[in-house]
Amino acid sequence: MSADHISKGAFGPVTPAQAKIINRPLKDDRSAYPSPRTMSKLSASKGDSASLGPRVSGAPPSPRMKKTKQAQYDRFIPNRNAMDIASSQFNIARADSEQPLDGATIAYHEEVARACGVSINKRILTFKEEAPTSEKDDLRQIYSRVALKSTASAVTKRRILNIPERVLDAPGMVDDYYLNLLDWSRSNTLAIGLDQSVYLWNANTGDVNSLCQLEGEAYIASVKWTADGSYLAIGTSEGDVQIWDAESQSKIRTMSGHQARVGVLSWERHTVSSGCRDGSIWNHDVRVANHKIAELVAHSYEVCGLTWRSDGALLASGGNDNLVNIWDARSTVPKFTKTQHTAAVRALAWSPWQLNLLATGGGSYDRHVHFWNTTTTARLNSIDTGSQVTSIQWSSEYRELVTSHGLPHNHLALWSYPSLAKVIDIPAHDTRILHTALSPDGQTIATSASDESLKFWRIFELRTKSGKSGKTEGIGASATASLPGAMPASGSSSGTIVGSNILDISRPSYIR
Amino acid sequence: MSVQAQLTKGKITLRGSARIVTEFFMYGINSILFQRGIYPIEDFEVKKKYGLDIWVSSDVSVKKYLSKIMESVEEWLAASKINKLVLAVNSRETRETLERWQFDIQLVDEEEKEGEKPKPPKSEKALQLEIQAIFRQIAASVSFLPIIEEKCTFNILVYADSDAEVPTTWTDSDPLHIKNAEQVRLRSFSTDAHRVEAMVAYRRDPDLC
Repeated sequence: MSADHISKGAFGPVTPAQAKIINRPLKDDRSAYPSPRTMSKLSASKGDSASLGPRVSGAPPSPRMKKTKQAQYDRFIPNRNAMDIASSQFNIARADSEQPLDGATIAYHEEVARACGVSINKRILTFKEEAPTSEKDDLRQIYSRVALKSTASAVTKRRILNIPERVLDAPGMVDDYYLNLLDWSRSNTLAIGLDQSVYLWNANTGDVNSLCQLEGEAYIASVKWTADGSYLAIGTSEGDVQIWDAESQSKIRTMSGHQARVGVLSWERHTVSSGCRDGSIWNHDVRVANHKIAELVAHSYEVCGLTWRSDGALLASGGNDNLVNIWDARSTVPKFTKTQHTAAVRALAWSPWQLNLLATGGGSYDRHVHFWNTTTTARLNSIDTGSQVTSIQWSSEYRELVTSHGLPHNHLALWSYPSLAKVIDIPAHDTRILHTALSPDGQTIATSASDESLKFWRIFELRTKSGKSGKTEGIGASATASLPGAMPASGSSSGTIVGSNILDISRPSYIR
Repeated sequence: MSVQAQLTKGKITLRGSARIVTEFFMYGINSILFQRGIYPIEDFEVKKKYGLDIWVSSDVSVKKYLSKIMESVEEWLAASKINKLVLAVNSRETRETLERWQFDIQLVDEEEKEGEKPKPPKSEKALQLEIQAIFRQIAASVSFLPIIEEKCTFNILVYADSDAEVPTTWTDSDPLHIKNAEQVRLRSFSTDAHRVEAMVAYRRDPDLC
């Protein structure tokens, strides 16, 4: 056969043993070509077959043939690289010389052909159809599966359980990243918005109450307790903000005015701030009839993160326009705006131990948590978490924070601060974690996801029972600390508890 | 008739060998597409084959595209009409060929010389080991191949005899050689009828010379 591969002359068949030696880059493919004397006749100095064509024909090298990085197209010959110029040229040259060939000439032609990697009676075929393209964005960046860190690093001296302490059913949880449907009050009552209803789960007794049910098409978009846990603010899809008394379970007032759903709320004493889908933030004074005391407009898309600093001096807001705004309580223009996030900012959390420290986390295209000094407005640090950040909770007990995530692992990640070393990853839910809430004693985190379960994780267990437990005012922590033996094995190992209609109460609660 | 059945019979036939070689190409091309990032990682799934975990495309259009190609290739192999299969990785924008994975196919000489004992048929295990070695090399080649930064597509070329039957889905083409190339020969494997040698050529980084 005439058209052996060009390199075969150089190598021949390779046995595995030889392959070991040969299996390294050759310095130049030209060295792999046999170099017959006939090469000089063709003045093929470049050694690359495509350049042979015009030289043989005697035409002066046209400027178009100059090899540049850019592809050179023209009107008649759209793409030179796609044409077998060398073979065509060679065949034309052969057709010209119709005189009978003697054996030497044939051998010569074959030799030339082999030298140039051109075949005489071989065809190079390609499949006509274009290979399917993948027009999607390279999702490798966004959904790279970073390995989870499944055991706590030695830095932590406490044991962190990576199984939930308790699992409750939460049917009807709306899978919407822009809503905020879970809050845990100071008086140890958990409020959760499930579609049209708000349920209160008393963590002391395990009792469940349905607080309210909306009419028509409306659904609950946000819930938020006051600092003392006596009142609950509810934002609805209709743009209303309702205030409910937790004790009497009755509605106190409805504050209307927003044109779109109120997806996030934050209390500052008697003021409740509401973030709306239209990008506006209103401050409502709940004591006066004319409740709207300020309108903060700086976001152009839905506001999905909103939180007052504990001293009430600053308000942080994050929106679907990828912005973080920090507002002074006395002003209606942002104190400063941060544009570093590249996706919606829903996770916002002020550090409980350092007043001016704010952590913000971005959505699926961003995946970063940024830390800000709100006094100097400087960015202090950042973490690439590898997954969308749906919420951030600081620990008051440890210098640590928890971030909750979506794809691919739907996990909770625990980070130490300021080292930002990852302490542990806890795969938590089957779908992205939508909401988290910290218990009033600061030990337990409640997470809910659209897999319709509500799980409790004891991540920040107190260091010692003595000394610290006094601080917790007997809400939760003192009772749980005394109940280690009573912890039912079924509670931690059984998956989602089904059977009861809503928030299962048939099992003894040990978050008491 | 399955390949297995032919293997148990003793020496495999040309058609059986063609099937083995085609199957190797299918997995080999998939593996290269995965290793070189021609398609995003989530379009692939792991399959157990040749005692290895091999990433194959789970994208319907890619699967269909490759199976159409392989249909023709198997025909040609069974008729001994092709002697090379090339996977060329091209830049989507400039159409320049960046990498060229070449598989040379040779027929193993069938005629046995007088007085010589016929070679014993190759065991399935030995064949699998040879193929395994190539797949390992494909995976390992990522370490020396230049990083592909642009978006790429690929072409399958076949070096066929001029008298081969060509379906209308195929057309003549340029060999898509790489300018300024370096080549690395990979391992080879052989069935009783075919011998396949693998080689990869890639563009040398001009800054390194």
